Amino acid sequence: TDRQNRTDIEKLVEDETHHKDKTLVTHDDIFDRAAGDSKTKVEFNRVVDVFKSKDIRRRGHVEFIYAALKKMPEFGVECDVTVYNKLLDVFPKEVFVPQNFIQRMFNHYPRQQECGVQVLEQMENYGVMPNIETKVLLVQIFGEKSHPIRKFQRIMYWFPKFKHTNPYPVPHVLPSDPVDLAQFSLTRIAADLDAKITIYQYPSTDITETGEEITRPHIVGIQSPDQRSLLAKHNPCKPVFVEGPYPLWLRQKCVHYYLLRADPIPPEEKVEEEIDPEMICPEQSLFFPQRVELDLKVDMGDDHSFNVDEVEEGAVYAMCMAGQGDQATLSQWISGLQETCPILGQIPTVFRLESGPRELQTSTDDHQRPEQEAETDQIIEDDEEPRHSRGVKQ
Amino acid sequence: MAVSRTTLKSLYGVCGVVYRQPLLFPSSLKCASIQITRSKFERDYQRPGQPPDTRWPWQMINFDFSKGVESVRKHFGLLKDEFFQRWIGPEGKPIIEHMLEQTRVVWEFRGPESLNEWIVSSDQEIGGRSVAYVSLGKNNTTCLLYGTLSSTPPRDGETRYSGYCSMRSKPPKASFDRKKHYDWSSFNTLHLRIRGDGRPWMINVSAETYFSHQRDDIYSYFLYTRGGPYWQDVKIPFSKFFLSSRGRIQDSQHPLWLDKINTIGFTLGDKADGPFQLEIDFIGLNNDCAHTEEFAYELYKKNP
Repeated sequence: TDRQNRTDIEKLVEDETHHKDKTLVTHDDIFDRAAGDSKTKVEFNRVVDVFKSKDIRRRGHVEFIYAALKKMPEFGVECDVTVYNKLLDVFPKEVFVPQNFIQRMFNHYPRQQECGVQVLEQMENYGVMPNIETKVLLVQIFGEKSHPIRKFQRIMYWFPKFKHTNPYPVPHVLPSDPVDLAQFSLTRIAADLDAKITIYQYPSTDITETGEEITRPHIVGIQSPDQRSLLAKHNPCKPVFVEGPYPLWLRQKCVHYYLLRADPIPPEEKVEEEIDPEMICPEQSLFFPQRVELDLKVDMGDDHSFNVDEVEEGAVYAMCMAGQGDQATLSQWISGLQETCPILGQIPTVFRLESGPRELQTSTDDHQRPEQEAETDQIIEDDEEPRHSRGVKQ
Repeated sequence: MAVSRTTLKSLYGVCGVVYRQPLLFPSSLKCASIQITRSKFERDYQRPGQPPDTRWPWQMINFDFSKGVESVRKHFGLLKDEFFQRWIGPEGKPIIEHMLEQTRVVWEFRGPESLNEWIVSSDQEIGGRSVAYVSLGKNNTTCLLYGTLSSTPPRDGETRYSGYCSMRSKPPKASFDRKKHYDWSSFNTLHLRIRGDGRPWMINVSAETYFSHQRDDIYSYFLYTRGGPYWQDVKIPFSKFFLSSRGRIQDSQHPLWLDKINTIGFTLGDKADGPFQLEIDFIGLNNDCAHTEEFAYELYKKNP
């Protein structure tokens, strides 16, 4: 009886050991084990080289390529065309090329072709342009009239077509300096070539006498001559509003800007501009008239304007981007604006701000008024209301 | 089917705190948010894992007398309009105006009734996590499309990509629910006045097709928004629209036929997760005499 028990135990142990030896090792583990802590292009290339040299037949290359495609963003090589070419090089050459039209017609080696298409699909998703090496590799692996070659041809046709269609291009690598990023963003949204960018405050860190550390955020503003003249003509009895933060998306990055604007002018207060009598006197030049009043009837075929009522909105006087969205920082922006627009000193300024995801509420004179609460009603009542910061700067 | 608030609440609970950026002009109406989704019979996508709908056809119909009376009144009103418009001219316009007009405003957003022609959808109805709403902007003007984009695919084992929000106009209907089309043959440029947040969008124009398997064919082009507080005038020639079907640009291209336009739509799917916002003032058509291009893409023989 003891001998039988020992034999059974030995069999169990042997079975367990045998079972452990046959456990599958996934390709994801290969990447994770090889990389360790550093995940760079060199490590990625090394893993690919190890796989290529392990077996001359390259068994399991489809699974390996799928795992590599999934791991590319982790290694930071998803926008590198040489890495994609190296990955395509994992396929065995000349094996999947169809030898006759029957093989070509019936989707020769469908899984391998699908894998090749997926590599190109990932290139397309990340905006990577294939090159000649990619084409040579695909022709060697799959042949001329295969699905990956068709995909390659489509990419080479449509990518150059749509390369320059964006009238507001965004660089692939955004500037990392917040001041440069703010300049780029404000120039984009100003939509005026005469607008001038002013940097009111650079980011800096000071240490006061008491040992306290004070961080000053950056403040970058933009204003065009038209906005400046509009602000100069603003009625000092009516307040101006500092509103924000408003989002602006640059590729995958969201930046926030603030506006200095006014309420729309009521219809009864609209005054037409006075025309200089000097320009319409009888002594004006007939060859270069300043004002022409011809009562001509315009044919319908020459009317290219749209019959739409204008949307009544308040004028925008200035825009800025700041490192922090609290009232103290934006007050400094208003103070900077007063250097070019002294009338701002007489106009009451109302801050109509909402807290952003990264901003800190450090305002101390935070008191709410029912008028402004009504103005900033939330559309979705179920949504969690963000904290508001309001105040009046006189 | 309208998305109920409970569903939205549970969705917010699942996703945690959904931060929403302030609108450029938050609407003063408290209940101005209109959640419109496409109707039951327009939806033909069945989510993976969902059991098929085994209800009988008559069980989907709801009998309502007041709606019937309202429907009869509406249809006979449309029939009367169709009858009497013929004496004036095409589509109720004098012939001289029809021949000489250079611009036309097709959709202008003024007042809550102008939003009834639009359907908002996102990949929430196919298992994703994006949400989209449409409402009026400030002063009850301009259409405001906003929400949150999320490109996390649903874990159903089949879906590979996710993350879109779209708004599409309803097809025009004649009396007694007969099919009707827009005729834009006299124009060659689409003109929009929009204000976005810097994200790129897609404009989709759907035309009438002869075969039913071409139901998913749309003509698309890009709509690059600038961002910022100023309005942006966008002019897109119809020659730039390319044929795509189910998100894939087709190899056999041909220009858009402008005499039977069904719908126009806007789709966002740029894989930048976060809130989005698009404000539309009007959508119009323009006859740009300086633009003489017929089609921007080559019509070579396919697979030579």
